[in-house]
Amino acid sequence: MKRLIAILAVLLALAFAIAPSSRAQGLDNLSVLSQAPTSMWPSYNGDYSGRRFSPLTQINEKNVGSLGLAWAFQTGARSLETMPLEVNGIMYITGGNEMWAVDALTGRQIWHFVNGRPGGSSKGAAMYKDKLYMTTPDDKLLCIDAKDGKLLWQIPIDDPTLKAFGGSAPLVVKDHIIVGTGGDTADLPGYLLAVDPDTGKIQWRWDAMPKPGTPAWNTWPHDTDVVTRGGGMTWITGTYDPDLNLLYWGTGNPHPVENGAARAGANLYTCSIIALDPDTGKLVWYFQGSPHDTHDWDMNMTPVLFNGTWHGKPRKLVAQAGKNGMFFVLDRTDGKALLSEAFVKANWYTGLNKRGEPIPDPIREPQPDGTLVWGSTGTDWQAPSFDPQTGLFYVNSQQSFGVFYLTMPGIHAEGWAGRDFFLYSKSMMKAIDYQTGKIKWVHDFPGREGLEGVLTTAGRLVFTGGSYDNVLALDARTGKTVWQTFVGGGMSTSPMTYELFGRQYVVYPAGGTVFAFSLPSRAGNTEEMSGN
Amino acid sequence: MSGGTVLKSFSALAAIIFLSALSAGAQYPVYPSKPTPEQAAAEQRGKALFQQNCAVCHGANLTGGRGPDLIRSDLTRQDKNGNLIGPVVSQGRIEKGMPAFSQLSQSQIADLVAYIHSEITVFDLHTRIPGGYPNDIPPSQLATGSAAAGKAFFYGAGHCSDCHSPTGDLAHIASRYLDPTTLEQLFISPAGTLAFSPTYRKGVTITASVTLKDGTIMEGPLLENGGGYVSIQGSDGWTHTWPLSDVKSVAVHNPVQAHIDMLPKWNNEEMHNMFTYLETLK
Repeated sequence: MKRLIAILAVLLALAFAIAPSSRAQGLDNLSVLSQAPTSMWPSYNGDYSGRRFSPLTQINEKNVGSLGLAWAFQTGARSLETMPLEVNGIMYITGGNEMWAVDALTGRQIWHFVNGRPGGSSKGAAMYKDKLYMTTPDDKLLCIDAKDGKLLWQIPIDDPTLKAFGGSAPLVVKDHIIVGTGGDTADLPGYLLAVDPDTGKIQWRWDAMPKPGTPAWNTWPHDTDVVTRGGGMTWITGTYDPDLNLLYWGTGNPHPVENGAARAGANLYTCSIIALDPDTGKLVWYFQGSPHDTHDWDMNMTPVLFNGTWHGKPRKLVAQAGKNGMFFVLDRTDGKALLSEAFVKANWYTGLNKRGEPIPDPIREPQPDGTLVWGSTGTDWQAPSFDPQTGLFYVNSQQSFGVFYLTMPGIHAEGWAGRDFFLYSKSMMKAIDYQTGKIKWVHDFPGREGLEGVLTTAGRLVFTGGSYDNVLALDARTGKTVWQTFVGGGMSTSPMTYELFGRQYVVYPAGGTVFAFSLPSRAGNTEEMSGN
Repeated sequence: MSGGTVLKSFSALAAIIFLSALSAGAQYPVYPSKPTPEQAAAEQRGKALFQQNCAVCHGANLTGGRGPDLIRSDLTRQDKNGNLIGPVVSQGRIEKGMPAFSQLSQSQIADLVAYIHSEITVFDLHTRIPGGYPNDIPPSQLATGSAAAGKAFFYGAGHCSDCHSPTGDLAHIASRYLDPTTLEQLFISPAGTLAFSPTYRKGVTITASVTLKDGTIMEGPLLENGGGYVSIQGSDGWTHTWPLSDVKSVAVHNPVQAHIDMLPKWNNEEMHNMFTYLETLK
């Protein structure tokens, strides 16, 4: 029955897929991003849900072994963290301070935009109608004409003097460009901005640091100004539920990073999933996955939205695999925790509070003479994926063990205030059953520290990057490798997929090159080879 | 926050090179170079001047007090060789209550500027650079355990003496590492994080014996083991690579396997005791 529903869902999604009838049109976000991606990959996560699940089945478990290179686009950048977009046959690829528009059928460059000095990282762009939006390493928001790559306007987001950085992909919700910010060095308060897509005017700002008089204010001490210095950065793109009209975003760790004594309390709204009204920026609910963090566990990881049956009842869910190694399933209407389970070995929490949030063990806070922590990083910005066909949540994770030293004690500490070292780290993909939090299978990645994200498709495949600069496809049910190719460059982003003129492409940015793979070519390429 | 932690903290220079090759993102700390002896001397002189003249208002760790925070400051961070800091020091900011330090010479101000910039650099670092920079964790801070208990662990439950000797390979071990955290990481995890990559070598050589289908055995340092291939440097000096499907078996020998197996057994107290014991081996 479950399988039948899944198949129906896929057929339905395909029926609504938009054919690439004409090229280079603008993007109607609400209708396109509200469904699973097929002919387009129009946003950082492919759709609003953050599942990174495509209903495409042309490439599937049976034929994936014959996947080959369709084209490769060499950006000339040293490495890419970008999540390419593909809209109406054109791919948009970002680097730090630069963007390329590339023909998604052939891989040929259409335009190249450079803003000042290229360099640094960019995780991707957003598109609204015929405009593109990206943030820069020095934390500006740029608006670019998608037709010709000309800069239309730019606004500063935050001041890079104190090491604020941009680079994350904005999210378009209705007529709001939602922009996050980063900065983990000199104690900056985090926030989200909604920006007018045409004028660049700020529509609203949500602050991660609470206001006086609110209950959250009391989760910080007030004998210093630590609550104004913050943390709670917003540097990974969030998700959106159009039916509930709620925006979901993860927030980063509090500051000073490794000195907990300087900020006794839970430190809201750091290390939380927050649900906001996207029209006003008002907080609707929060869930703090890592209260009073002292280990740099910014819980910015994608809040993934899907519907499921929970104890016999249909429920709207949000799931997150956090940097602290915890996997959470919440009711996304109200933020109520349904499941909180560690997905890596962890020794830093003593149990769960009544909200389902872990209770940190004080002995695992960084100490002057060091403390040993299992689960020193569970995962990072690499995107996870949820496959509704298998009911599994796939996350590339690390089993790590580290030692944390406090170097700046006292309540006047600022910045990092500690030093930490990994003693052990082992990379693997984990497939988590969201109903139980149990690990269904593990795929080991020898020989690297992985930052590769995940894509799942209705072809029963999991796409990711693997050991020694390989890209791979795994069987979604077992985790066994079913296809791999050496691309000679590391991957720090996620694969994506789209269908164009009847052909499905799987795209991997790796090293400084974007590789598009597909099944053996049809007429097009052979004609070119035999004719002319 | 941000993604830098994944790639933090190894104890080998090779690891720094490896890291800088990967540190494309704004999330990774960019390691500054260790100061030259001349710079270090200037910073030391500046530190003394700072503690004497400035710390009372700006805080002993520069994070502020009666006067502004100098770490989280646009002025100090935008300063180039004293062009912004210098005039404030020599002329003061009388309206804001900062006196002029006109008695300080230009070279003294240059030392102060060097110290302030070095403190900002250290502040911005997420971790220590192997080799002991910044030098903000003295051995005494880590030697909080019992040397006797550490010694007992060495010869007992830790099974360290199965392979090591305080008069043999560990003689004067505490004098060999200027950076105490390096010593601490070494005795827990001697080849750093990447020891757990099957091919990483630092002082230790992970080797493999590859048995080919015809029964030939090839041995040597392991270069790659995974992704469908095994690769070794053979005794003939050449790199040899086979598809895993074309070999009968691969036996990996990791000389620090005992340390890997030991990892789950460490607790804070044993770590402090062991460090305190090894500190006696000067």
